[in-house]
Amino acid sequence: MIDIITSILLFLGLFFFLGGSIGIIRFPDFYSRLHPAGKLDSMGVLLSLCALALYTVKSLTMGNFLTAAKIIFIVSFVFITSPTATHAIIDAGMRAGLKHWNKNNNQDKKEEKP
Amino acid sequence: MKKFAVILGLMIWGGLLIYIADDFPGWGDPQAPASVNLSPYYIEQSIPDTDVPNVVTSILADYRGFDTMFETAVIFTAGLACLFLLRSYSTKEPDVYLYRHTATGVILRIEKGGTIPVGSADFERIDATWVPHDLIIKTTCRLILPFVFIFALYVIAHGHHSPGGGFQGGVILGAATIIFAISYNLRTATRNITERFAAFFSAAGVLLYASTGVLCMFFGGNFLDYGALAPLFGTTIAGARSLGILIVEIGVGMSVMAVMSSIYYNISSNGRLNEGL
Repeated sequence: MIDIITSILLFLGLFFFLGGSIGIIRFPDFYSRLHPAGKLDSMGVLLSLCALALYTVKSLTMGNFLTAAKIIFIVSFVFITSPTATHAIIDAGMRAGLKHWNKNNNQDKKEEKP
Repeated sequence: MKKFAVILGLMIWGGLLIYIADDFPGWGDPQAPASVNLSPYYIEQSIPDTDVPNVVTSILADYRGFDTMFETAVIFTAGLACLFLLRSYSTKEPDVYLYRHTATGVILRIEKGGTIPVGSADFERIDATWVPHDLIIKTTCRLILPFVFIFALYVIAHGHHSPGGGFQGGVILGAATIIFAISYNLRTATRNITERFAAFFSAAGVLLYASTGVLCMFFGGNFLDYGALAPLFGTTIAGARSLGILIVEIGVGMSVMAVMSSIYYNISSNGRLNEGL
């Protein structure tokens, strides 16, 4: 039973990783690329590490429980810090004056104009 | 022609290096010269000799303690060099002071000749290239930092049993200081971990390491032979060596942490330590 839940969680986490990686490549500019990057860190890591923690406590001993608790700690810290890091990076980009993407200031089109 | 000669020379040297690499022992070969002479002694005798299961730590801080002492001294010297090169003591007053009213977030711009609210609890001085009041980042850092400090102390103290030790724990402590300085500002960071404190600790760490070695000589052993401290700690020789490693690691951690903070303070503010990132 735990095996099944673990594999489902792992596959969900890998799904988020896959989507995040594709998003980083495919999205048009800095700000929209940070969106999948943040998702990847929070959701992908959350699901796959929870799967690992669950798999560790399959045979419940004190040592295994401590290992799982450490993994859960990692999950909670990543869950707090990763969105903050994304927020800080976007904030820095805004303050540095980087324009966000829209249909009119598309970089490819600008190169075609002259 | 010159280009061709250079390429030819590089090819000959590269070919020689590849040719020599063929004579190296295989990766992880148990019969290799490196793993037949000294390594088996360390692996087998680490626990009987020093009570430390992590062989890396016992080699680093006990068998080769002299080497590690000078590594710490190198880090201390790097911090000193950074301090001497960058620190400038010019006390040029800025033309404009910026103060934030903490309750409302209103920014006051005080030109030359205006009254500066020094020592007032309601106002907080901010940098000339000021960054807006970022509540999210500050709150997260305040939430995370205690755990970072505890983890760093754990890494220092748990180096006997798991990967870790003074250098790693010290770097984590230093990184915590840097995170604090980035998320608040340099002025707040230098108020909590002052420059004087950093300079004092970077020297005190090396001094702690060296004086442990000298203490061993007082108890009749060689320099850095922690086993001689057994009567002082009231343990067996192996236990004393384990405790000696712990003391030494604490010294390394202090030194690394202080040097990291000191270098960051100087580099981020061009050595003026008043404004910066």
